[in-house]
Amino acid sequence: MLTEAAARNTLLDPEFLLKLERLAIAAKRVQLGVTKGERKSKRKGSSVEFADYRDYVQGDDLRHVDWNIVGRLNALYLKLFQEQEDLTVHLLIDSSRSMSFGNPPKISFACKLAAAIGYIGLIGYDRVSAESFNSAGTQSLRPCRGRISAGKLFAFLSAIKAQGDTHLEEACRSYLLRNRSKGVIILISDFFDQDGFVECLRRLAQANCDLYVVHVLSPEEIDPPMSGDLKLIDCEIKAFTEVSVSRTLLKRYKSNLGGFCEEIRRACLARGIGYVFTSSAAPVERLTLEVLRKGGLVR
Amino acid sequence: MSYLQAPFQSLGNFISASFLTPIFLWFLTLIPVVVLLYLLKLRRTEVLISSTLLWRKSLQDLTANAPFQRLRKNLLLFLQILVLLLLACGLGRPFIKAEGLAGANLCLLIDRSASMQTKEGTQTRLDTAKQQALEMINSMRGGDKMMLVPFGAKSEVLCELTDDRVRLRQAVNAISAADTGTKIRDAVSVARSLKLSVPDLTVVIISDGRIADLDELGRRDLEVNFLQVGESANNAGITAFSLREPQEGRGERQSFVLVHNENSEPLKTTLTLYFDEDVLAVEEVAAPPGGDREVVFAHPSLDEGVLRAELDHDDALPADNRAWLAVRPSASLKVLLVAEGGATGAYFLQRVLALDSRVELSTLAPASYVETGGYDLTIFDGFAPPTLPLGSQVYINVAPPLPGVRFEGTFDNPPVVSKDPEHFLMRFLNPANLGITKAQKLIAPPDSRALISTTGGPLVADVSRGGQQIAVIAFDLADSNWPLHLSFPLFVQNLLAWIPRGAMAQESSIPAGSALTIMPDPEHTDATVTLPDGTKQSVALSPLRPTFFGATERAGVYTVTRSAKEPGAAGESFAYAVNLADRNESSVTPASNLTLGRGEVQGQRGTIKQNRELWRWLVLIAVLILTLEWWVYSRRAWV
Repeated sequence: MLTEAAARNTLLDPEFLLKLERLAIAAKRVQLGVTKGERKSKRKGSSVEFADYRDYVQGDDLRHVDWNIVGRLNALYLKLFQEQEDLTVHLLIDSSRSMSFGNPPKISFACKLAAAIGYIGLIGYDRVSAESFNSAGTQSLRPCRGRISAGKLFAFLSAIKAQGDTHLEEACRSYLLRNRSKGVIILISDFFDQDGFVECLRRLAQANCDLYVVHVLSPEEIDPPMSGDLKLIDCEIKAFTEVSVSRTLLKRYKSNLGGFCEEIRRACLARGIGYVFTSSAAPVERLTLEVLRKGGLVR
Repeated sequence: MSYLQAPFQSLGNFISASFLTPIFLWFLTLIPVVVLLYLLKLRRTEVLISSTLLWRKSLQDLTANAPFQRLRKNLLLFLQILVLLLLACGLGRPFIKAEGLAGANLCLLIDRSASMQTKEGTQTRLDTAKQQALEMINSMRGGDKMMLVPFGAKSEVLCELTDDRVRLRQAVNAISAADTGTKIRDAVSVARSLKLSVPDLTVVIISDGRIADLDELGRRDLEVNFLQVGESANNAGITAFSLREPQEGRGERQSFVLVHNENSEPLKTTLTLYFDEDVLAVEEVAAPPGGDREVVFAHPSLDEGVLRAELDHDDALPADNRAWLAVRPSASLKVLLVAEGGATGAYFLQRVLALDSRVELSTLAPASYVETGGYDLTIFDGFAPPTLPLGSQVYINVAPPLPGVRFEGTFDNPPVVSKDPEHFLMRFLNPANLGITKAQKLIAPPDSRALISTTGGPLVADVSRGGQQIAVIAFDLADSNWPLHLSFPLFVQNLLAWIPRGAMAQESSIPAGSALTIMPDPEHTDATVTLPDGTKQSVALSPLRPTFFGATERAGVYTVTRSAKEPGAAGESFAYAVNLADRNESSVTPASNLTLGRGEVQGQRGTIKQNRELWRWLVLIAVLILTLEWWVYSRRAWV
């Protein structure tokens, strides 16, 4: 495993990190947090921001009684304040073997993006939890907070290796069972799953979190540079397809690819999930600073 | 099954009509092999990719659209198949019928026989043929060459293979019709021999198809185009006219006329017989369509003169409406028999010769023989003069005084094993059961002809030389049963007809195109021949041998006048009748195809259509496609 400093430098350059410090994760809905934080929570608590009054019941802390009201109305009312809690940023990274393809590899792009988003979360005192999943095994980063945890996050992300097959639905189900804290879920994948993606999206939508899907494809997948008579071997399921590449076939492939992305986008839209399509060759910086900002994930 | 056979048959017809060597079309069956090889040899490069999900889907889409998508997308395979297709078709040597002359070298055989004089509209068939020949000359391109061989009874090379169009045009214009029959054999031989040195020679025959000797052409090794001229035409003509001498002095002279009707309607006309310019007889002639009618005239007293038969019929071919016969007083044949008196052979010879009223026979003993000349035929029996006398001779049981002819030894009981049926002397003869007890072994030069042969050599031979007709009988007639045999008097009759004067006596008329025989006469050295159109040609005469005059292409009366030796004295004139009298020519209905040797050549009309081979183009295209294939192969990314 790389040292934390080295991992930080490998993943994101310091200038970009500086830029990221100005950003924060935007939560569209108010959620219950886990611990005290800087986010408005559904709970009433101890911040300075007034929330409501309620009747005093036996056992309430007398310190919260509004004595001005007692003086005027001769009745006991408790003054309630808005609680501020933290937000959990869940980073789900598809680390199946297909993610290792492309130049640059999709997995490295995914890790950089996760690092950027995770860093924004950590800066904003949000809980950041990350998990990479494939059929060979799941690696998780326990939720962590604060700038101090950035090194841990980067080290975790740098260590991710693409292997095994893709089972998106199973991975999401398992993760959501283990992590019930609400927040923002960001799924980064190429969605090359033999079982399809609809079930996975359905399960994510049930989690009642803010959801974002980043669809990463390598430039070679977007515009295949192939020619001639080829035997295409699927790196995950090892199935092969014999093709004689022609212009018509390439055209057909691209139109199918367009249809595939469009299908995912529509499925996401129907479930209120933010969808971002990107090439692994696109700069992470631009994606983070412009696309995700426009999409409402960061502000 | 017939509904299945019909398309196959028409396909077969198409193939045999479009390819010269259709056997090579079996190469087309290699196409599936190429496809198979292509599929087998296809080594696909293995490429590991992230997911085949989208590729599979794309492929499914495409194969769903077209079942042969995979093949269709393989441009290389298709180019290879195309190359094979073109090469196989090229080997099949396809051709198309194209107008005009493709070949650079052309041999043009033009029929100028009598039937080509048939009038059709305003011009004759020969005019049409000449017009077509001129068109061909006009359509010649640079480097094209043509040879002109007009043919009638004889063929002549009018213009050898040349590209000089002016000369060719002049030669075509100079072709005139002849009143002769049609024999193409010599013309074809010329074309054949030319073909040996000029392999791409194209032979074109312009004719009406009435050619007499097509079946004599033998095997067909010459590709021939037949350009047919002539429509069917109505004609009636005299196809035979001959004089019959009274037999053994009894009866009277008769003339015989055969009229052929080529019309599709019955013929009813008159036949007029003239003697010189006097009308002898007028006869009504009726002949059925396509049939013949013979007319016989009796002539109790006919002096020297010319008989002319004229058919009063206005038809497309006037040349055959008239025929002539030269009537001469019966010529006497002077025959000298030199033999021992009382010899058996001589006795039989005298008896047989006495049967012919023309023969004036003299007999001499060998001892008293002196060379005097003046005999048409001298028969030496058992005796030979020291030098060769004039006139024709027969030597019996003795060798003639000729170098290279001698006797060496004898045969005992020689069997007759063969005879030469082609020879004039052997006409009507069958010497098969001839019995000979003893014969001389005759050694004859190679240019002689054995007429009757035994196992070791000839028994009777023709050793003629230098225009003198000489026959040798290599056995004594007394040593054989020949004089008692039927063939003996026939042989003597043949002998009398064989010698020039005898031959001339029989020639009351000759077919147009064959030679006139002018007898030798020491008194005269030259003669003038007056042709039917009045032109005169002088001929130098040989004092010893007959002179032949061959320019007899027009029918009519030819008069030969031997000029007298002393100036001022009147010359001696003979009339010769030259007739068309050819059934084949009078039947003017054109033949639509020629049976040349074993193959049939379909006639074409108007312009000639020639097979133009396409294989060069096919191979050229194949090479281009091969280049394209290589280009495509080296630019696979483009596919």
